[in-house]
Amino acid sequence: MEIVRVNNLKKAYGDNKVLRGIDFKANAGEVIGVIGKNGAGKSTFLEILMTLKPYDSGNVLLFGKELNGLSTNQLEHIRKDISAVLQPTQFYKTLKVVELLKLFKAYYKSPVDIEQIITDFKLQPHRKKYFDKLSGGWKQIVSLAIAFLSEPKMLILDEPTTGLDPHMRNMLWLYITDYNKRTGGTVILTTHNMDEVELYCDKVMLLNDGINEMFDTTEWILSTGYKSINDFYLSKVSI
Amino acid sequence: MLATQLKYDLLMFTREIFYMVFTIIIPPVTYLFMGQLFGDAMYAGNLSYAETYTPSFILLITFGVVFFAFGFDQVMNRTTGVEKRINLTPVSKRTLLVSNIIRSIIITSFGYFLIFFIGMIAYDLSFQPANFIIAFMTFMLFNAALLIISSAIYSLFTSMNGALVFSIVIFQVVMFTGGFTMPIDMMPKFVQVIADFNPVYHMNQLFIAVWNGQFQVDNSSLLSSGFIIGCVVASLGVLRLVNKVRK
Ligand SMILES: Nc1ncnc2c1ncn2[C@@H]1O[C@H](COP(=O)(O)OP(=O)(O)OP(=O)(O)O)[C@@H](O)[C@H]1O
Ligand SMILES: [Mg+2]
Repeated sequence: MEIVRVNNLKKAYGDNKVLRGIDFKANAGEVIGVIGKNGAGKSTFLEILMTLKPYDSGNVLLFGKELNGLSTNQLEHIRKDISAVLQPTQFYKTLKVVELLKLFKAYYKSPVDIEQIITDFKLQPHRKKYFDKLSGGWKQIVSLAIAFLSEPKMLILDEPTTGLDPHMRNMLWLYITDYNKRTGGTVILTTHNMDEVELYCDKVMLLNDGINEMFDTTEWILSTGYKSINDFYLSKVSI
Repeated sequence: MLATQLKYDLLMFTREIFYMVFTIIIPPVTYLFMGQLFGDAMYAGNLSYAETYTPSFILLITFGVVFFAFGFDQVMNRTTGVEKRINLTPVSKRTLLVSNIIRSIIITSFGYFLIFFIGMIAYDLSFQPANFIIAFMTFMLFNAALLIISSAIYSLFTSMNGALVFSIVIFQVVMFTGGFTMPIDMMPKFVQVIADFNPVYHMNQLFIAVWNGQFQVDNSSLLSSGFIIGCVVASLGVLRLVNKVRK
């Protein structure tokens, strides 16, 4: 089933033409990595998919519906099926972790049991801490836990593992792949860690000069003679 | 949903020391402190200290709450990215706004009763039901006007630091030119000129009159009401414009 379809998407900030015609597609259950250098437009692209940013031209279809034509009501409806970890995600700084979970549970009208989430994500020692006071890694874990509250059909993650130590990184990926296997949800993420792409992503989109220079399966890219995705990235993207 | 949001909105207010200081602490303390100094003086309209300054300090609390916890809070959420994360959820903007407005009304009403209570104990302020109801209704109208004005002003800010500096400065300006410290006609000329352009000063004048049953339709009360209404209309215009541009 098709979850996202993007045709000839264009987006500029003033004179800065960041996206110059992106074509993209995501099916149910796929894990797709978006890569490209700093400032390539990855976050911009993801935020358009999250319904947060307007775009100049082209089509973006989420669950078969063109975003530009939707009313506020319809957008709010579509947001029930999307969740995301932003770069970086911020929450009310004077609420504690458990309070944030409860509040966002209400936003999503979610049936998920908060205590289960706290156990699953090993948040017990942090439940009474203010979000602001958590370390960067735990902020990411809490953001992900909150993203999972809605049991989304599509999960968008903007550099979820940046700044995490190896254990935290593994833990985060465990949650992501488990979600993907268990619910068949689609995951679209960005990362600067090419090993992660190789290990976990079914497909890769390389954003370069505002277009998707490459959008194919990880397998296919490796079969064309690159030793690794890192190798592929280094040979395709100049500084 | 609204109940949950409101519960946490109130909780967050009590955890923000900065809001508490400017709303629930400074005004009552100043009210008591000034009472110690000028408690025996008589003021315009043959009113006692408590008759003049009780409504004034209720208004000052209202101003503090609406500008800090309502207006500045919005800038903070917008600029730190909290708003972005919430925009991602299916919760409607209206729910959030309504919760914020109810929160302001609850806290300002709390301020109302707090000052009134202090006044009853410290200055033998008496409770007259009819007057109380009219005064409370006027207070609600001013509350609404301030909510609209502060929304408009803070919608123009794109940086939190700018908004913070502005908030602290404007609090001082309003405190001195709104008639919350010394009576305005005892102040230098330039302060009097600023006061004329300060909607909170006009609210203060009207509120003192209503509070004491001295309100009458005359030139000065019409001018004050007109100026406040003008500010509200201008603010609605600004809000409309900003909403259009943001889209
Ligand atoms: N709100 C904005 N207003 C103006 N320009 C912006 C805005 N957001 C991003 N840009 C610009 O758009 C370009 C793409 O930014 P974006 O954040 O999408 O890149 P990115 O690929 O996510 O980079 P990184 O890997 O560093 O996260 C950059 O040149 C950036 O300066
Ligand atoms: Mg980015």
